[in-house]
Amino acid sequence: MLEVRGIHAAYGAVRALEDVSLSVGAGEIVCLLGANGAGKTTTLNCISGIVPVTQGRILFEGEEVTSERVDWLVARGIVQVPEGREIFPGLSTQDNLELGAWTRRRHNGRAAGLERVYELFPRLKERAAQRAGTLSGGEQQMLMIGRALMAQPRLLMFDEPSLGLSPILVQQVFRIIRRLHEEGMTILLVEQNARMALEVSARGYILENGEVKLHGEAGSLATDPQVREAYLGA
Amino acid sequence: MSLVLQGVASGVVTGCVYALVALSLVIVYKATDVVNFAGGELVMIGAYLGLLLLLWFQLPYIAMFALVPVAVFAVGALFDRITLRKVGGRALAKHVDLVSFVVATIGLSYLLKGAVRVVPFTEEVRRLPPLFSGPPVFIGDVVLQRQDLAIIAVTTMIMLALWLFFERTLLGKALRATSQNARAAALVGVPVSAMRMAVWGLASAIAGIAGVLLAPKLLMTPDMGAVVMLAFAAAIIGGFSSLPGCVVGGIALGVIQNLVGIFISPQAIAVTPFFVIMLVLLFRPEGLFGESLALKKV
Repeated sequence: MLEVRGIHAAYGAVRALEDVSLSVGAGEIVCLLGANGAGKTTTLNCISGIVPVTQGRILFEGEEVTSERVDWLVARGIVQVPEGREIFPGLSTQDNLELGAWTRRRHNGRAAGLERVYELFPRLKERAAQRAGTLSGGEQQMLMIGRALMAQPRLLMFDEPSLGLSPILVQQVFRIIRRLHEEGMTILLVEQNARMALEVSARGYILENGEVKLHGEAGSLATDPQVREAYLGA
Repeated sequence: MSLVLQGVASGVVTGCVYALVALSLVIVYKATDVVNFAGGELVMIGAYLGLLLLLWFQLPYIAMFALVPVAVFAVGALFDRITLRKVGGRALAKHVDLVSFVVATIGLSYLLKGAVRVVPFTEEVRRLPPLFSGPPVFIGDVVLQRQDLAIIAVTTMIMLALWLFFERTLLGKALRATSQNARAAALVGVPVSAMRMAVWGLASAIAGIAGVLLAPKLLMTPDMGAVVMLAFAAAIIGGFSSLPGCVVGGIALGVIQNLVGIFISPQAIAVTPFFVIMLVLLFRPEGLFGESLALKKV
């Protein structure tokens, strides 16, 4: 479904990605692991159209989407759940969700989408009228996932969804990811928590200094001695 | 007593105009972090466009009143599209040099003033006819011109429309979302640069309407944009981030000016706004409606 072929990216003179290739099949969960600064977020941002690709190609459902505009890509179904608390703090929870469906604003089924998000995250329904800035960290993470779902994604990309959350909330986030996968969603997952990421994923890629160092089945990565030492702390 | 009441009533009227211009400044500031020093010239250009449409094209008043905001919307939107987007580069860059944006707005103010000066039509000092003419209206002891009532009515309608737009429509919410978190707005697929353009257009249109409302009360000159200082004062009283704050700030300033004129001296009117700005910055720098500065985004 998604095919990244040898992309390069740079911030000014600093190279961020070099010849990164990866693919995600329809309905698959693939994780992208690596240390801080390895280029994981940059890879997602290249796919999302936020960071320009200087070389290489990105194909989505067989179609060239390299360096397309963000809004076009979201409408096409490539949606990112960004890292951190990227919400609209002064708008209500419900308004945040409804803006998630911005690219679907002329389509029907927005109300159904909202119902579905509230069913996945009953907590958000309780907080519907509350200003999003007053939600707890965990609720804000749920809100970002819900907002991304409102766009009816075909490929959902998570950037460090467990960052800064308590262990219980991390479990909850991964439960949601697993559930979305079971319902057929295609997922590209960037995580620092390599253990949990490899548990839910079918395959994984390991980035180091902007290059793909290793890739393979999640099971074999989890038992690879190098990976175990560097990322699993074993 | 009736003198004071009269002063308050006329203060509310001029305050409405300050409030409109302040709204224009604050809408741009909230959405783009740019302080628009051309705000006053957008008022001026609105007034002169009105004059041009009425006297040159002989349009009926109502058509002029509908066309001016459209034209000034285009001026603001094009300024953003042509200048600011070039100056700023990529809309989502993390570090944008705001100084160059602000300098660009100063450039726009000189451009507009210069453009009006070279039009031969503007050599003669003229006065824009009022929206409604006729004998003044008495409310108790207070006398108001019909134009004054029109100013209050139009200002109220614009405020109501803005409130409905920002609170009730998806586009209005998308504009607010863009000003609160441009990156997140881009990620949900909101076209951020188009939104910025729309904000510039909208804010300019409001300034243009303020020009048409204000011009009948003054002599028109290319320097009438100086009214922007009063709008800055009004916006600062309101905290420079709150739309209701602009309205309250504008009206308060209009009333204070008139009371200063009555009780202290008419010469003191001119310094009043600066004095008010100083007092607000000294004792309540976040303004009456602004969020506490400590809570501002870090």
